[in-house]
Amino acid sequence: MPKYLCLQRSFGGGNAERPSPAKMQEMYAQFGAWQQKFKQNLVDMGGRLGEGRLTTADPAPDGPFVEIKELVGGYMIVSAESLDQAIDVARACPGLVGPGSGVEVIEIRTP
Amino acid sequence: MSEPRQLAEHFFRHEYGRLVAMLTRRTGAQHIEAVEDAVQAALMSALESWTVAGVPDNPTAWLYRVARNGLWDDLRQRTRHRRLMEENATEVIAALEQGPEPSLADEVQDDLLRMLFVCCDDAIPAESQIVLALKVLCGFEVREIAARLFTSEANVYKRLGRARERLRARPPSTDEFTSEQYASRLAGVRTILYLIFTEGYLSSHADTAIRRELCAEAIRLTDILASHPIGQSPETSALLALLHLHSARLTARQDGAGGLLLLEEQDRGLWDAGEIEVGLSWLAKSASGDVFTRYHAEAAIAAEHCLAPTFHETRWDKVVEYYALLEQVAPSALHRLNRAVAVAELHGPARGLAVLDGFHPPTWLAGSYMWMAVLADLHRRSGDVDAASGYREMACQLAPTAAVKQVLVRRLRIDRGSPH
Repeated sequence: MPKYLCLQRSFGGGNAERPSPAKMQEMYAQFGAWQQKFKQNLVDMGGRLGEGRLTTADPAPDGPFVEIKELVGGYMIVSAESLDQAIDVARACPGLVGPGSGVEVIEIRTP
Repeated sequence: MSEPRQLAEHFFRHEYGRLVAMLTRRTGAQHIEAVEDAVQAALMSALESWTVAGVPDNPTAWLYRVARNGLWDDLRQRTRHRRLMEENATEVIAALEQGPEPSLADEVQDDLLRMLFVCCDDAIPAESQIVLALKVLCGFEVREIAARLFTSEANVYKRLGRARERLRARPPSTDEFTSEQYASRLAGVRTILYLIFTEGYLSSHADTAIRRELCAEAIRLTDILASHPIGQSPETSALLALLHLHSARLTARQDGAGGLLLLEEQDRGLWDAGEIEVGLSWLAKSASGDVFTRYHAEAAIAAEHCLAPTFHETRWDKVVEYYALLEQVAPSALHRLNRAVAVAELHGPARGLAVLDGFHPPTWLAGSYMWMAVLADLHRRSGDVDAASGYREMACQLAPTAAVKQVLVRRLRIDRGSPH
């Protein structure tokens, strides 16, 4: 099955309200249910992205660069029959798609 | 990929309470807001990390480390930005650095107990104490507290603000309470636990799960109190007995559609036998001294109801006796009203009315549906149809919720010519 790279994107302006502990418990359960449901598709749960820097042939590129983590919060890799199916898997992930955030799904081409 | 592990029910809420208690003990209550922020952030990290990497072997220790490190960074940054030496931040930072990780379950219980006494500071108004306890010990958010106490979020913020103001004003100290301080706050602690319970038990919230949750929280905290030398006393045992005996009947108080059921309408088979047993054993323990408190009287009344095989087989003479004792130890017009109801069951409605004869209830009771409903019921049963229908109408008008009104309409129906 083809693999897809999922990038968590945030556009800002989302609802930044902090979830209550009871809400977190709910989210944890929902996430677990999602993982169970798509066990076959979740190749690599990936993680959040931290500090990064762009390096180029130019020894000292002029800044400022937008740091990559401001655009992409985290990544994961899923396998699916098609781009549409990969999108379905990613969309079903609790908390990934919502106000001010979304997920970009990109096919990983292997020779 | 490891499969996500099942976490205990209310894991996040209860860890919130435990972590806030553990860290507050080390920083002092004046830093409680920074503590709460750090705990919130640690739980968020757990949510992110555990769902991917799995739950660590000792989740509490993991959370404690993350929360402590976050708090440590936060306090250090603040001392750098502003000179907050008077807030004893450097001292606190050192304590956080050096303090060993709490590993013993006993110590966590100690911290929770201590936090309960921090909340019940007599300089904080009782209504703020409840909100503070629900927030920091039970892990409820402002919106959740507002929904449970039937009040606005703004009101919860206000009450919380008052409590925090007082905690900030405390002299910076992480000193232990003295045994005198513990002793002087103990009665207040019991009152708050009782109030948290009644908020759940008497609530007309349609969702039984939500009502049960507050009752369960009150029992959880009272258990901690009752199992610690600081809180152990016949009075605490009586309170715990009362909570369990009431809790046993909680589910049976509602019908399938969420409507309220009167005691005589309840299916006694639904009463929780396990809870009754636990309640009775605490009641036995409560009889060990020579003190008799309102909790003893209330628990004894609840026990009579729990032990009666049917409504009509209730030992009403005992119930009347305990209500009379309750009136002596905790005078309240409501207790007198309840005694009148019990006397009516024992000796008939006329004798019940006689208990209220010439009694002038305070305005809060005189203007309540309860007062009107009891008068309507007792008059109806003594055949005074005119008086009954007048009181009945007023009771229905004053009913606070649709569920209560439904009960009143059903119970106070007047069948012409055939009074009960």
